[in-house]
Amino acid sequence: MLEKGKISSSQLTFLIAGFTLGSSLILSPGLVAGHDAWLAVLAGLGSSLLIAFIYTTLAVKFPGKTLVQINDIIFGPYLGKLITIGYLWYFFHLASLVLRNFSDFFVGLIYPETPIIVFLIFITLTCASAVRNGIEVIARTSIILLFVTACATFLTTVLLVKDMEFTNLLPVLDLPLKQFIKASYAATTFPFGETVVFLMVIAFLENTKQAKPSVTLGLILAGILLVVASVRNISVLGVTEPIHTYDSYQAVRLINIGEILTRLEIIVVGNFLAMGFLKISVLYYGTVLGTAQLLNLRSYLPLVLPIGILMVILSILQFESTIENIHFAFDIYPYYVIPFQFGIPLFSLIVAVVRGLPKKAKEGSK
Amino acid sequence: MRRVIRPLDMDQWKEKRQQKNTKPVDIAIDLKDYALEKDIGKNEQNYRTIFRKCSDVVIRPFKLGTNCEVKALLVYVDGLIDKSLVNNFLMRSVMLLMGGKEHLMIRENSFDLLKDCVINIGEVSVEDTIEKAIDKILVGECIFMVDGHREVLSVSVRGWEARGISEPDTEAVVRGPREGFTETLRFNTAMLRRKIKSPDLKIEIKTKGKYTKTDIAVCYISALSNQGVIHEVFKRIDRIDIDGILESSYIEELIEDEPWSPFPQIEYTERPDVVAANLMEGRVAIMVDGTPFVLIVPTIFAQFLQSSEDYYQRFYLSSLFRMGRFLALNIALLLPSIYVAATTFHQEMIPTSLLVSIANQREGVPFPALLEALVMEFTFELLREAGIRLPKPIGQAVSIVGALVIGDAAVAAGLVSPAMVIVVAITAIASFSLPAFNMAITLRILRFPITFLAGMLGFYGIILALLAILIHLTSLRSFGVPYLAPVAPFRLDELRDVLLRVPWWRMDYRPESMEPRDKRRQGERQKPSPENRNGKGDGGNA
Repeated sequence: MLEKGKISSSQLTFLIAGFTLGSSLILSPGLVAGHDAWLAVLAGLGSSLLIAFIYTTLAVKFPGKTLVQINDIIFGPYLGKLITIGYLWYFFHLASLVLRNFSDFFVGLIYPETPIIVFLIFITLTCASAVRNGIEVIARTSIILLFVTACATFLTTVLLVKDMEFTNLLPVLDLPLKQFIKASYAATTFPFGETVVFLMVIAFLENTKQAKPSVTLGLILAGILLVVASVRNISVLGVTEPIHTYDSYQAVRLINIGEILTRLEIIVVGNFLAMGFLKISVLYYGTVLGTAQLLNLRSYLPLVLPIGILMVILSILQFESTIENIHFAFDIYPYYVIPFQFGIPLFSLIVAVVRGLPKKAKEGSK
Repeated sequence: MRRVIRPLDMDQWKEKRQQKNTKPVDIAIDLKDYALEKDIGKNEQNYRTIFRKCSDVVIRPFKLGTNCEVKALLVYVDGLIDKSLVNNFLMRSVMLLMGGKEHLMIRENSFDLLKDCVINIGEVSVEDTIEKAIDKILVGECIFMVDGHREVLSVSVRGWEARGISEPDTEAVVRGPREGFTETLRFNTAMLRRKIKSPDLKIEIKTKGKYTKTDIAVCYISALSNQGVIHEVFKRIDRIDIDGILESSYIEELIEDEPWSPFPQIEYTERPDVVAANLMEGRVAIMVDGTPFVLIVPTIFAQFLQSSEDYYQRFYLSSLFRMGRFLALNIALLLPSIYVAATTFHQEMIPTSLLVSIANQREGVPFPALLEALVMEFTFELLREAGIRLPKPIGQAVSIVGALVIGDAAVAAGLVSPAMVIVVAITAIASFSLPAFNMAITLRILRFPITFLAGMLGFYGIILALLAILIHLTSLRSFGVPYLAPVAPFRLDELRDVLLRVPWWRMDYRPESMEPRDKRRQGERQKPSPENRNGKGDGGNA
């Protein structure tokens, strides 16, 4: 076994919630829908529950098997390996995207004169140490980090109540249906659909049967926090909300309680970073573990640093500027992920059902 | 006549050289070369060889019986035995009184007669090898031999000068027992036994250390402690092979789970009540002879924020104190780095008026905040260290130097800003308010790299450092129990005794992280209420 750790169902819930919050705390999902973004997030959450159902059904059908092994069983050793390579690329690329998002955020808003590579390297090193310690450690840290983040989200919301104009939310759904659907779809793919990486993690759940409720609960938890953040941002920022790239950050900046509690954004940024750490760690872990399984290695530890270095390099090389990154995230990414988030999982499930696979797998193992 | 000196060949030369070298040096005694003999004269000779140049060992041959026909020998270490016991009871009874049975005494039966009828001291054992006999002598027993018998009698007459029981300095309390462990293992086990009067309290002794032969007592309550943990403790202690153990920290470092971690993974205490409370939660205590500090395993992080007094004061107060200590922990770890980050990178988060005054203060200071903080922290650590080591009268001089020179003159000279002095002072107070000294040291060590990161990368550096510490803490285990136990992995039920301290009538269960054999701590419905008081103490049946 490459991974000896076991995670409990509550840890999985928190890990999924933290993962989903991840970079969507800085880059709000559903921004295309303007002041109806919160509805887009809700719709995205609803549709993502359906997709998560596909993932968990797959995971429950093959208990203790990661995505790599599931692919091998369903599609055979050659096609399965090909699909696995595709997924590993996706996890790897997504991790580098998140890395880039966070580093862009820090360089753009807080440290304008520091080279971006500093942020990339330091956070990658931190994540590497988490990945080396295994999924158990990542899952355990998620509880503490998510608790702190949830507290911070609610606290900032409370501190901003006096700045909120709830009329900013009106009129509800005053936009073309096509645009709303586009926004909801974008919210489904980012962040909720990205939970496909948990097919690498659910295998280490103590009780596989609890996968469905834990994943659902985790998604709902993250959805609630995102909706709260979205409503807060829209009601505080009003019509200017869609033009801010980092709207949560912008909203929190406005906190001003008696000239004492002012400009708390840097503390909230800490929470953003903690969530980003969780997201990058899970993706990083998925990539490293998947590669080790693909290559039949005895341990994934030797892969951690090389893959981390490649991740840093890719995140520097792939975009010329922040604007390119945002453009990719909002306009290209939703279509780029179709095979990974919907196509292959659905197809895998259908093939598995048609071939009656889990039974066969059992006989094969006997 | 002429003497012819022949040159030596190589072998002869080597032999001669070896003789020359060995002659004046005492080679180590191998006890395997010696054995207990029937002949008392040979025995005496053996002991004199083994204990040659040991001025504190007394070897006393004498004769017994009506006609003084039975030769006997007494060996003990002066200073480790109670002389009045030996003189008044042992020697007196065998030489003078003989239990009124002197007429029965002949050479053949003398040994059994002495053992069974004559020696009037409680603890007597028979040893049949010389190794055991020597061990007994060295731990303070008196060895008694008679002519014609191979076995020896070992009489327990231990008694030496020891420090009395006093209040532990390191863990003083306002309310609670004022006794602390001492250096003598037997006193310590007795203090524990006086707290837990149950045959379930097991105290197993292991002897470790080639030269110190230190007794290590592993204490646990067999009905509560997890078998796996006890087994693990013995396994780890058994593999220790060291020349000497002078303090329990030797054991601590030899049985830790993660030897390179900066965090202490084993709690120590000087207080019998703390040990008793921990044993009753299913933990295992390790006592070491020669030190009052007792180790407790498995240890979780939260224990370092708790003081024994939390359980003796009212629960509101205790809960508040625990939260206060948690705050102090964060201040001790982070305050200098937050100050550095805020003044260097994130000036906007400081309220404007405060920012203006800090900027004013810093105007004449030539150094960046990072350097200022590191220098001040380092100076403070030096002052603290100097204050501990110096004799008390001079120690006061150190504090004057610290207060006047560092606090006042450095500010007046424009070397540091007053705000920095305040920050360092608050950090110091916060680190002293933690009940566990070893945890405070860890925080002090970690403070420097975090300050450094804060000076380089601002809050980004602080957050990453905290994440790295968190990763490390969650990966730690102490004897199979996760270090951050009730928080990560999360156990809601146990949180009642981490940052809060709920009243005793709500602590129905022992902490589950320790996996105790018996989970229930007390009967149901212990909360005092009118119905319970009227009943005959049988809970809420009334």
